[in-house]
Amino acid sequence: MSEATIDVDETERSLRERVRLRTVALYSAVLALVVFYMIPIQSGLVTSFKTSRAVRETAPFVPPGLEGFTLGKWEFAFSALSDGMFNSLLFTIPSTILCAIFGSMAAYGLTLAKWRGQIFVFALFIAGIFIPYQAVIIPLSEFWNVWVDLEARLGFLWGLPLLARKHATIMELIVTHTAYGIPIVTVLFRAQYKSMSREMMEAAKLDGASMWRTYRRIILPLSVPMFAVVFIFQFTQIWNEFLFSLIIIQSVSDPAASVTLILSGLGEALEGVDFPLRMAGAFISALPTLIVYVLFADKFAEGVRV
Amino acid sequence: MARTQLDSITKVFTERGGNEIVAVNDVSIDIKDGEFLVLVGPSGCGKSTTLRMIAGLESITSGEIRFDGTVVNDIPAKDRDIAMVFQSYALYPHMTVQGNMAFGLEESTDLSDAEVEERVEESAQMMGIGDLLDRKPGELSGGQQQRVALGRAIVREPEVFLMDEPLSNLDAKLRSEMRTELQRIQEQFDTTTIYVTHDQTEAMTMGDRIAILDDGKLQQVGTPIECYHQPANRFVASFIGEPSMNFLSVSLEGNRFIGERFEYPISSALAESIGEQTDLTIGVRPEDISLVDEPDTHTISMVVDVVEPMGDQNVVYLVFPEAEVGIEGPGESIIATIEGMHHVQSGDTVEAHIPEDALQVFDQSGEAIRNRHLDVSPAQIQF
Repeated sequence: MSEATIDVDETERSLRERVRLRTVALYSAVLALVVFYMIPIQSGLVTSFKTSRAVRETAPFVPPGLEGFTLGKWEFAFSALSDGMFNSLLFTIPSTILCAIFGSMAAYGLTLAKWRGQIFVFALFIAGIFIPYQAVIIPLSEFWNVWVDLEARLGFLWGLPLLARKHATIMELIVTHTAYGIPIVTVLFRAQYKSMSREMMEAAKLDGASMWRTYRRIILPLSVPMFAVVFIFQFTQIWNEFLFSLIIIQSVSDPAASVTLILSGLGEALEGVDFPLRMAGAFISALPTLIVYVLFADKFAEGVRV
Repeated sequence: MARTQLDSITKVFTERGGNEIVAVNDVSIDIKDGEFLVLVGPSGCGKSTTLRMIAGLESITSGEIRFDGTVVNDIPAKDRDIAMVFQSYALYPHMTVQGNMAFGLEESTDLSDAEVEERVEESAQMMGIGDLLDRKPGELSGGQQQRVALGRAIVREPEVFLMDEPLSNLDAKLRSEMRTELQRIQEQFDTTTIYVTHDQTEAMTMGDRIAILDDGKLQQVGTPIECYHQPANRFVASFIGEPSMNFLSVSLEGNRFIGERFEYPISSALAESIGEQTDLTIGVRPEDISLVDEPDTHTISMVVDVVEPMGDQNVVYLVFPEAEVGIEGPGESIIATIEGMHHVQSGDTVEAHIPEDALQVFDQSGEAIRNRHLDVSPAQIQF
């Protein structure tokens, strides 16, 4: 009897020992991963606060000393990028919203309504995802500059308050990004709509709701989490996009220049690369995507949950 | 409330590759105003497709559906003034119970918000879900969701209720409760109701009349008692009733049925009513068979294979003495239900008495030639 008690005590102790060991191992692994992933970001961050001399004299991940510390690079980067940031927001936000709305509607029409040829139309959407950016550069620039030429056609607008010639370029970017984003967004929404109960749609039909009312009152509210996913995904995609900006805006000095376009030239000079300035610029231009993640994080988690 | 007529309706689905599948084949039923009709049959028999055609969710290949004489074939679902309860309940998950019930009224009527609220409140009280109005479907139990689905149909005050296996997701106890409740509601509103189920108990207990479908074809329409005692064919006879009717293949020689392992003398009146045909199947309900002590002309000696005591009755599986116990071929075993206190056990030899009055006779194709004799006509039995 007493022996048995001791046995139990001992197995329990060794079990607890093992559990503690596993916890320690787990936490060490997590810590190692955190260090591994954070080092580049940490190095970038400390570099951005260094003077040019401190960059030369210290290792990249070592924080600058008091004499090597400066906010000057951030100030300079901010003043250089602020116009670009504004321009980027000006086309990123509308494109993101338009992509989400059109994508969701297209997915609704392709999934929950029945009509002839919808498979073919859906195949076109799929094909749209796989057209590489590089393949459309020349037709795209031809299209906007020769055929459409919004700046000339909308000439009557540029005299109005708050509008300027650069908005023609912004509009071109909005349309281009929206068109390019719709296929992938449609596929994302379609995956969700396919799993929706057909009986629920039929119930709405029998309740007297039209296609449009069903979309407004049932489908749209149920796709809020997917909208969050699409907002984050498309915002990041469009904000970070470089090639279309390069083709449509063409020049860093254009008043419509986007943040990615300006960033590409920031801190480049004949005498060498200004690393602190580039780092500060990179952090500043990444800020909006971070904010979007934070804003939609809850709904995003709901949207990606299986 | 509307009289609903199905006039030789047919539904053909065309598969990819051009194969045609006839889901519903020339079905005609005249459903009286205020009647509770149950469409019953095995899965894949076309009962749900029939219901969906009435609802307007499925096009009609040929034939006509009429509500009160008006052909509705081309009237869209939302204008047919029907309400449907789905098997999955199909509630809107993002809306409260109140929202779910109000949705149909908001979309299909011009009622003011106050009127809608009043009607929702009233129906919710009646369904016993008055205190759940602010909850969402995800926070409700299966039984409560079922009530909401019914409430959503009732609040519309439609001409016709359509129900597609509404009770099949409930547990047995709740199912029998809801069965009674549904009947109560239907009687109260006196709305024409078409109810689809594969469960013959639901069909028997709920319907004013039942329509039995198999393989897209209508087998019989009649009151539950008619279908039970006077089945039109072998399919109906075997589908209705639990345990199922016993069938034995026999040939008629003079005034005797000759089976593979038994002989059964019959009256000349019965023999005459059968006429010329000799390849027959006879059917007898398990409860009509009794186990007696003394053999007579209408008994067959059989061996008890398995006994299933149910309390009030015992279900006894009988095999012919020559057949090996446990190995059964078609027509070699019959089921009898006997009184619960009547003790028999596996291996006993018993005399199974089959009264001639209780015999159903079917021809080779399964059509009923003669139904059992009843002292009262089923039409006289009213509930």
